[in-house]
Amino acid sequence: MTLRLPHLPGLIPFLIPALLTGGGVALPLLYLVLRALEAEPEALWEIVLRPKNLELLGNTLLLLLGVLLLTTLLALPLAFLTTRTDLKGKRLFALLLTLPLAIPGYVGAYVLLAATGPGGILPLPRLEGYWGALLVLSFITYPYLFLSLRAAFLGLDPSLEEAARTLGLGPFRAFLRAAFPQLLPALLGGHLVVGLHVLGDFGTVSLLRYETFSYAIYLQYSAAFDRVYAAWLALFLLLLTGGLLLLEGLLLRRLALARTGKGASRRARPVHLGAFAPLAYLLVLLPVLLALVLPLYALLHLASRFPRENLQGVSEALFHSALAAAPTALLAVGMALPIAYLAVRYPSSASRLLERLAYLGYAIPPLAFALAWIFFSLRSLPFLYASLPLLILVLALHFLAESLGPIRGALHQVPRRLEEAARTLGETPTGAFFRVTFPLLWRGAAAGGALAFIGAVKELPITLLLAPMGYSTLATRVLGYTQEAMFAEAAPFALLIVLLSAAFVGVLLWSERRF
Amino acid sequence: MERRKLLILIGVAALSLGLAQGQTLTIYSGRGQALVEPLVRQFERETGIRVQVRYGTDAQMLAALQEEGRRSPADVFWGNTSGALGQAAARGLLRPLGETLLRQPVAFTPASKAWVPVTLRLRVLAYNPEKFRAQEFPQSILDLPRFARERGLGGRVGWTPTYSSFQDMVAAMIALHGEARAREWLEGMRALSPRVYASNTAMLDAIRAGEIDLASTNHYYVVRFQRAGYRLDMYQFPDGDVGNLALITGAGILRTSNNLTAATRFLTYLLSPKAQQYFVGNIGEYPLVGGVVADPRLLPLEEALAKSPRPDLEQLPLDQALRLLRELGIL
Repeated sequence: MTLRLPHLPGLIPFLIPALLTGGGVALPLLYLVLRALEAEPEALWEIVLRPKNLELLGNTLLLLLGVLLLTTLLALPLAFLTTRTDLKGKRLFALLLTLPLAIPGYVGAYVLLAATGPGGILPLPRLEGYWGALLVLSFITYPYLFLSLRAAFLGLDPSLEEAARTLGLGPFRAFLRAAFPQLLPALLGGHLVVGLHVLGDFGTVSLLRYETFSYAIYLQYSAAFDRVYAAWLALFLLLLTGGLLLLEGLLLRRLALARTGKGASRRARPVHLGAFAPLAYLLVLLPVLLALVLPLYALLHLASRFPRENLQGVSEALFHSALAAAPTALLAVGMALPIAYLAVRYPSSASRLLERLAYLGYAIPPLAFALAWIFFSLRSLPFLYASLPLLILVLALHFLAESLGPIRGALHQVPRRLEEAARTLGETPTGAFFRVTFPLLWRGAAAGGALAFIGAVKELPITLLLAPMGYSTLATRVLGYTQEAMFAEAAPFALLIVLLSAAFVGVLLWSERRF
Repeated sequence: MERRKLLILIGVAALSLGLAQGQTLTIYSGRGQALVEPLVRQFERETGIRVQVRYGTDAQMLAALQEEGRRSPADVFWGNTSGALGQAAARGLLRPLGETLLRQPVAFTPASKAWVPVTLRLRVLAYNPEKFRAQEFPQSILDLPRFARERGLGGRVGWTPTYSSFQDMVAAMIALHGEARAREWLEGMRALSPRVYASNTAMLDAIRAGEIDLASTNHYYVVRFQRAGYRLDMYQFPDGDVGNLALITGAGILRTSNNLTAATRFLTYLLSPKAQQYFVGNIGEYPLVGGVVADPRLLPLEEALAKSPRPDLEQLPLDQALRLLRELGIL
């Protein structure tokens, strides 16, 4: 079925939310451009040609490349060890190695600052600036790459490597020549996600004092109050993100790796580690120690120094976080449903464009997105400015893409014939969807909602710029106290975020039956 | 079916909760949440008035007020610096206040009469006493870059370019010594590759931790560290030097406020002995009304007042200072 005019009246309930979502992403961005172009011509040259911009670009790219390199060095061997070898406890390690996803960047930075340096709980010199940001960002984003490479390793067809071996290549070269190219799409996909995280990250770089575009936008907006320059920096950052997306698209297009026939794809025999086993364990334990055990130990240690009389602030922040995140999850699912439905049931260039817009809302660096919404809401929707509904709306637009995945997956599994049967009984497309399809989508919708919920709890930059006054969440409290070097005060807030996220990561892994 | 109805209900309830907001006093504060939140809560408890505070920097609040224009929900602007308060007054955002309020502070009543000074703080040089003796320091902050260069302190000096008091000090340098001299000072400092901090607390923590040796900051930050038992000292330049600049925090009522009674009560509360004692005791600032028990670590108020030069605090060329900082790539 493609989307044709006769279908339209029955689909209106789907089209309206879908178009609203598209507008919610596209309009503020348009507005950001307009706002940036408001500057007087000579001031504009001064803004665009500042040597500072080059420095920021250099800093941002340097961090991006460093993190991509380090995450690859971590994720590639880890994914190999936990899928293709006879390492004992592979499943447990896979779970432990995924859990650092639960630690947001600003919490990682906070742990690094609180635990190291003189007077810290670890006898290490304090790492700040580039090296600190590189370390923290790599250790919290490598799981994305790890998960995507694991999936690729598990789907690898060993016959290719075996064919290479019969042509006289050694095991290592056979892997490199035959198997490695098969991993490239997963590698690139993972790199894209990691890259978007690095470009969008604000918490880590601001706490560790490393000036990237995101940090500079925030500085210009909040401390030096140069709105036009902030808008331009946001545009530069958008261009950089666009370049990353384009590059990934181009690279993926040149890879064609499908199997010619289904053949007899089977699982590879695990590689026997033998004498290398101790080394493998060391390699697997290192990230678990650094990215999971150490932060948790530091957080618990710091929380024990927490002044008890401030507990009221903790419960208030928890309530605020939940009050923003719960409606965000509902709204994100509500927006994802019609978009996924149109994309799955009525595939066309229009529905694909809508889906792209939804993903764009996720790819836009959150700080730039929030800034665009500030300008847009003040000029066009003043009653929404600095209100909780606006914060919820923008968070939902941003995390919508995370809800889309599980919902699409669930939709694909609902047989279309059920809907068609309902249609022959006189239901409109919408009626058929709600009476037949939706009851079968429960799991997908719940998983999508869970992802949006936890995303909203961890999120920092959008909340920082759009929250109503006096509305402090767990995330803003961690940042505020850490900036003031009040590490003990920040601990319970950080701990709550990590525990909440970890619970969700666990639930999601379990529901995907990845392990 | 039942489960779905329940979910929809929960959703509606959650959304409407966010929309329900009663009549409250709305404060835009350039003062840090960590410092003044307890005082706000105390005011709430004592008066029963519900208070909402929007915390941020002075620049952020001024900009928000400008952007919001007549639609601003703010009743009170509680500024961290007199420069920002002066700007708010000059742009006609604030109402003239009554004499009863303006008579109370002992000094610094602004010509505009649109805001009331609440506390006083002085810029000082914070340093690690294991590294320097007070006699070694130069006679003016303007000579600090040269001193640091001679002592080989490259990379061991801190500063807070985004902090409003620092920006006010640069603006006062321009007002007192001209832009060329201020530029020379900033370039000299920049040549030392100073470490940039987002807050004074983090910067002083770095002095405590031995990462840097000295930094210009506000006096009460050093007092707070000393009270916590850390070895940190402050140096004050000879009387009248811009490195000792006095900075005034204060508050005014916005023209957009439709909650005048509550706003006036809040300003009166800030000048009450109880609140002033909080500023001295919990933050370590100088009070601006009499009858407050002083802290032995602080100078008597008259001496503190003599330390600072007296540029017109409402007329500090803050815009010029920000432009200069941006031009030099410091911001």
